[in-house]
Amino acid sequence: MTAGPLVVQDATIGYGRVAISAGLNVDIPEGEFTVILGPNACGKSTLLKALARMLKPSAGQVLLDGKDIHSQPTRAVARRLGLLPQSPIAPDGITVADLVARGRYPHQGILKQWSAEDERVVAEAMAATDISELASRGVDELSGGQRQRVWIAMVLAQQTPLLLLDEPTTFLDITHQIEVLDLCAKLHREGRTLVAVLHDLNQAARYATHLIAMRGGEVVAEGAPADIVTAETVHQVFDLPCRIIDDPETGTPLVIPKALASAPV
Amino acid sequence: MSVQGSTVLRLGGNSIRVRHRTVAAIIGSLAVLFAVAMWSAATGSTALGLDRTWAALLDQGTKGDEFILWDLRLPRLATGLAVGACMGLSGALFQNLTRNPLGSPDILGLTQGATSGALVAIILTSGGLQLTAVFAAFGALATGLVIWGLTRGGDPSGYRLVLVGIGVAAILAGVNGYLLTRTTIVDAFRAVYWLTGDLSGRSWDQAAIVAIVLAAGAAVVTVLSRGLDALRLGEASATGLGVHVTGTRVAALVTASVLTAGAVAVAGPLAFVALAAPHIAARLTGSTRSFMLSAIIGALIVTGADMIAVAGIADRQLPTGVVTGVVGGLYLVWLLIAQRKKGVMS
Repeated sequence: MTAGPLVVQDATIGYGRVAISAGLNVDIPEGEFTVILGPNACGKSTLLKALARMLKPSAGQVLLDGKDIHSQPTRAVARRLGLLPQSPIAPDGITVADLVARGRYPHQGILKQWSAEDERVVAEAMAATDISELASRGVDELSGGQRQRVWIAMVLAQQTPLLLLDEPTTFLDITHQIEVLDLCAKLHREGRTLVAVLHDLNQAARYATHLIAMRGGEVVAEGAPADIVTAETVHQVFDLPCRIIDDPETGTPLVIPKALASAPV
Repeated sequence: MSVQGSTVLRLGGNSIRVRHRTVAAIIGSLAVLFAVAMWSAATGSTALGLDRTWAALLDQGTKGDEFILWDLRLPRLATGLAVGACMGLSGALFQNLTRNPLGSPDILGLTQGATSGALVAIILTSGGLQLTAVFAAFGALATGLVIWGLTRGGDPSGYRLVLVGIGVAAILAGVNGYLLTRTTIVDAFRAVYWLTGDLSGRSWDQAAIVAIVLAAGAAVVTVLSRGLDALRLGEASATGLGVHVTGTRVAALVTASVLTAGAVAVAGPLAFVALAAPHIAARLTGSTRSFMLSAIIGALIVTGADMIAVAGIADRQLPTGVVTGVVGGLYLVWLLIAQRKKGVMS
C-alpha cells in the first residue's frame, strides 16, 4: 500500500508539555472522505491540528507528500491543504464575497492582489456552496448553516486538493448538519481528499469512506465504516453498549444504543 | 473587472485592488489634513494669513515671513505630522495584535517605558532634550522586548499580550512615581513638562528623525499588512491560509515599538493619539482596515491638536499633549456612550 498525501509518523502531539498522543501513526488515504471520531478528549481535534500544521509534534513528524510539513514553506502548504477551523472569526461587517475572497491569500501577493483567476475561482466557490445570491450580504446577518457554507466556500477558494474540517457540523441544527455533510460528500465526489472531525457516529458511518476511531490519544480502529462499525468497536471506543443495524436509507451501519434494563420509562 | 465596492487596476501580471470607500476616506482625510496644516502655518503669534503664507512657501515672501514659516512653523508642523502618523500606525498595529479596541502603547506600557527612560535621563543625568529623547526611545523599545519576553518569547497576541502589558505598565508607573520623588523641584518640573508631550520649538532635525522612523515602519507594515489582515480571521484560519503567524506578529510588535519609540522620543507621550486614530479610521472604512488611513488620522489629530494648543486659552499657548488628552478622552467617552446606545456594550 502506498502512503497517502498526509502521514503522521511516530508523532508525539500535545500542548506545551502535556502530550495527548504519543507514538501516533496515521495514514490519510488519497481521494477518501476520512472522518476522525471518538469520545471527548480522545485526541481527534489534536490530530487534525497536527495534520493542519497548527501543532508541531514534539517527536516524530507529519509528512505532506512525503516531506515534513514544517520544513515546507507555509504558503506552498496552503496551496495543497485547506483548513476550516472550529471557530473562525468573521471581521465585523464583512460581506460574504469579501470573506470568500480571503481564501485566495496563498495565491496572491503585494502586487498580485486580484487576478482574473481569483475572480473566477471565488465565483465558482460561491456557486459550489450555493451562496452566490448572498454575495453582498453581511456575514453577521446569516444563519448558522449559511455562515458555515460561506466558510467552506472560503476554503474552497484556496483551491486545495486536500481539505481539513474541524467539527464542521457543531452548533448547527440537524437540517443544516445534513446540508453541510451533503456538501462535503459532493466535494469528495469531485475528487478532493477530505478529513473531518465529527461527533455523530451515525453521520460518520453514513458519509465517511474511511473512519479513524480514537480513544485516549490512540487509534483504536481504522477502515471502511462497514468493516469497523461493529458493536465491539463502538463499545471499545465509546463505552456504549449498542446494536448495529443497516441504515434503511443508505445501507450503512446504524448504531442503536441499548436501552438499559433499569432505565426510567 | 471589479468586485462590489472596489476597482482592480491591472498591469501585465500585476494587479492592485482598491476599495472605493477606503480611497474616499483617505482622500477626504488628506484634504482635511492639508487644510489644517495650511491653517496652522498661517496662524500663530504672528498671523501671516494665507496669501503671505503661500508667498513665503513659494519663496516669494519677505525675509521675516520666510523665517517664521521655514524656521519656526514648518519644522513644528512636519514633526507633528510624522509623530502623529507614527502613533496612528503603531496604535493600529497594537489593536490588530491584541484584537482589543483598547490595545494601544498607552495601555500596554510602552509609553510608560518611554517615560521611565526620559525620567532617568532628566533626573539622573540632568540631560538635555537630545539625551532625553534617546533614553525615551530606548525605554519604549526595551519595554516592547520585555513584553514579548514575558509572553514567553512565543506568539505575542490576544489577551496574554494585554494582561502582560497592563502589568508592565503598572510596574513602570510605580517606578516613574519613585523617580519623580527622587529629584529636585526644577528637574521634576522639566520631567512633568516632558510627560505632557509638546511640539513647541521642534527643529527640522527632529522632524527628519521621526520621518525616517515613519518611512521604515510604513515599509514593514506594507509587507506585513496582508498577513495581519488574514489574522483577523483568527489564528487557525490564518495558519490554514499560509500566514507565518508568529513571525508576522513578532515583526508587528517590534515595528509598533519602534514607531512608538520614535514618536515619543521627539514629542513626548501625546496621550490618546495611538488609541483614537485606529478607531476613527475603522469608522470611516467599515469592515476593511487601512493602516495608511490610521496613520493619516493620527497625523490629523496631532496637527489639529497642536493648532488648538498654539491658539491656546486667553493667548497662553498650551502643551500639545494637554489638547490631545482632552480631545482624545472626550472622543473615547463619546465612543463608549455611542456603543452602549447601540447595545454593543452593556
